[in-house]
Amino acid sequence: MSTALDFDEAEVARLAPGLALALPRTPQRGRVGEVRAASAGSSLELHDFRAYQPGDDLRQMDWNAVARTGELSLRVRQDEVSPRLEVLLDGSRSMALSPRKAGCARELALLATEVGAHQGLSPTLLVCGARPERVQGQVCRSALRAATFDAKDDLHAALARLPPLRPCGLRVVVSDFLFEAPLPVLVSRLAQGAAALFLVQVLDAEDLEPTGGEGARLVDAESGAALEELLTEEVLAAYTRRFAEHQKALGAAAARARAVHLVAPAPQALRVLVAGALRPLFLPEGVA
Amino acid sequence: MSFGFPWGLLALGALVPLVAAYFLRRKQKPVVVSALFLWRTPRPRAEAGPRFERFTREASLLLEMLAVVAAALFLADVRLGEDARMRHLVLVVDGSLSMSARGADGRPVLEKVRAEAARRVEEEKATSVTVLASGTVPRVLAGPEAEPSRALASLESFHALGADHEVAPTLLWAQELAGPGRRVHFLTDAPPAEGVAVPAAVRWTALGAARDNVALVSAWRRDEGSTATVTLRVARFGTGPEETEVRAVARPGPGATEGTERRERVRLPEEGAATLRFTFENAGDVEVSLPPDALPEDGEARLPPAPERRVRVALAEGLDAQARSALERFLAVSPGVERGPGEGALVVGPRGSDARVTVGVGGAVRTFVGPFFAEKGHPLLDDVQLGGVRWAAGAEAPPGRPLMTAGTVVLLSEAEGQVHLNVDLSRSNVQRTPAWPVLLGNLLREVRHAQEGFPRRQLSLGESLVVVTRPGARYTLEGPEGTRPLFGAGTLGLPPAAVPGRYTLERDGEPVDAVEVLPLDARESDLRGRGGGDRPAQAAGSDEDGGAAPGRARWPLLVLLAALLADFYVTRRTEVK
Repeated sequence: MSTALDFDEAEVARLAPGLALALPRTPQRGRVGEVRAASAGSSLELHDFRAYQPGDDLRQMDWNAVARTGELSLRVRQDEVSPRLEVLLDGSRSMALSPRKAGCARELALLATEVGAHQGLSPTLLVCGARPERVQGQVCRSALRAATFDAKDDLHAALARLPPLRPCGLRVVVSDFLFEAPLPVLVSRLAQGAAALFLVQVLDAEDLEPTGGEGARLVDAESGAALEELLTEEVLAAYTRRFAEHQKALGAAAARARAVHLVAPAPQALRVLVAGALRPLFLPEGVA
Repeated sequence: MSFGFPWGLLALGALVPLVAAYFLRRKQKPVVVSALFLWRTPRPRAEAGPRFERFTREASLLLEMLAVVAAALFLADVRLGEDARMRHLVLVVDGSLSMSARGADGRPVLEKVRAEAARRVEEEKATSVTVLASGTVPRVLAGPEAEPSRALASLESFHALGADHEVAPTLLWAQELAGPGRRVHFLTDAPPAEGVAVPAAVRWTALGAARDNVALVSAWRRDEGSTATVTLRVARFGTGPEETEVRAVARPGPGATEGTERRERVRLPEEGAATLRFTFENAGDVEVSLPPDALPEDGEARLPPAPERRVRVALAEGLDAQARSALERFLAVSPGVERGPGEGALVVGPRGSDARVTVGVGGAVRTFVGPFFAEKGHPLLDDVQLGGVRWAAGAEAPPGRPLMTAGTVVLLSEAEGQVHLNVDLSRSNVQRTPAWPVLLGNLLREVRHAQEGFPRRQLSLGESLVVVTRPGARYTLEGPEGTRPLFGAGTLGLPPAAVPGRYTLERDGEPVDAVEVLPLDARESDLRGRGGGDRPAQAAGSDEDGGAAPGRARWPLLVLLAALLADFYVTRRTEVK
């Protein structure tokens, strides 16, 4: 079903070293690691000072400050966490509506895993195809290469086939989110167990602005259901209105689940996407 | 289901391009989209239940096909149930010869009948028609319940040449075919005569006209040797003409090189008939004709040769001299008799022999001068006068059924094809009285009539066909209306021939004998009582009940509109709110 013609691995390799994933500010989820978290913890890096309160660890008492000020001051150190990264790739047929759409989805999933690995996040890749797949570490690249968009159902239905989502620090879902499903329920489920959730919506040019043209028979990429419709201006305008409503609903569901909804137009180059629409996810290294 | 206008079904041909367009449209390249639901108008049942949308094209096709079928049914004037009930019209056409008479305008009555029948079919909006022809034997010309066009076509090829007959049996039969309470249309050339019982359901329409007519009322030919004698009787029915010319043409027979034509003017009496006689030598068929008049058919007759049948007679040994002498005296002067033994010969022998005719006595002989008791009506005793006869008979009765007795003595008996004469000619005078040749003449006549074939060579219309067949052979009768098999052996009485012409008897495919049925019937030739008129049926007919609806059925139109509306509904484009 899918082809990897537009899967530019070299571009991903070029971009990944200069990027870092936006980590969640919520308490760590995962074992103690080497990555400084935004929260206070027990690393050697000083985070702040505060007044001692009964029950605090006396080992963190800054005795020099006590001697200078006579106040019981406590060192607050930066926490060190080792968060997990989970990348979920929608394997439904609509993701391969065009080679560029499929390639863009693969590139984004690969970039997330590469950047995460570079960041020491232990990436896990889940492909929601007709035969669900879950891989970790270096095999993510080869798994993405071999991934096929062949599921005849949407992501919401495919989640039932997937292995259970594990608690993780960061979850990135790459899909077109163009299906009829209770979006709040879906997004809530995707956010479950994740400190941060990014919904990366890959959309083809035809998804964004259908051109109409030939044919009066529209066939759903996944179900195969057909609809007789002449693609007139009025019909295209109606589609645009319904698409906007859908996007609005998706954004609302994402906001309710404290997830971030990012739209990645497939025609745009990966570099442009990273610098533009996906900037909230892929931060330049050093900013994170 | 029936169709008032079956050609309307041609509209079903529109299904072909419709289905073709459907399959052509199916070949259109489909456009694959990521989210079909964004193209569709949201519906309450969109999240569950069947998706009819995917069948839109098929549903549209089915609805359009339904619309085409409904339109075709409307055009074809479909009728179902009560509307489809057959409107059956029963026509009875007089099949008698007078129907061929020409009116003052030269049109035969039968032609007027055809036009009237077509008008009735149209008028009654008949969906099926049964046509009967009345005659001595009624027959079906079309039907039962034939298509109107076929029925009218059968009338076109029908020729009324039958004999005078009673129409009541045909009308009753027609009434049976029409069903209770339905009318029968009888088309003839004369109004019903006074006292004629016409069934109440019969509408009697007379289309004839009174005309003067001159006709042959009988024609008879007899051949003796090479001489043919033709006897004609010509009659005048009406005021004129007072005389006419009779033309007789004899075709050349065996041994003749050319035919003979005779013309004779004959004065026609006001009442009765004039008799003419022509004789021809070595004549073949003789054609007799009168000048054309209102009914030319009854002025023409074709008379084939009609030689008398010959009978072979053999006298057996043992006959006493008196008997032999008396028999030989008769046979010597009797025409058409061959002497000597041979196949089929009539053998006359002494009493006790197995001869066909036995002559002799047994026991004490007694002489009777009367009274004699004879079985009246027996053909052997036709015109046998026994006055002055002295009959000497033996006391022993001959075997068989007595035909003539005197006292207790049986004088003449018949048993299993044998005739026994209980007479002693040496003591009787019967052989010297007229009774003797008459009795023997009757005997020869019966033998002649028992020969294979037709006893008579010429028949007039309405006369029964009598034919004699032998056992063990397969016979057919070939006539102007075709061939039909004959069953039975011996003397068979067949119904009168329906039409004049030559009828040939065939045995195992070989012609045996022929008879000519002449188109002569004095009652049919008399056209003075013919006339026009329309006598409605006395009983109220129910033709209107159960008849076809006056207009086309409207339900196909409603189906057509419903299908179009439904098609519009399933193929409509709606805006999303």
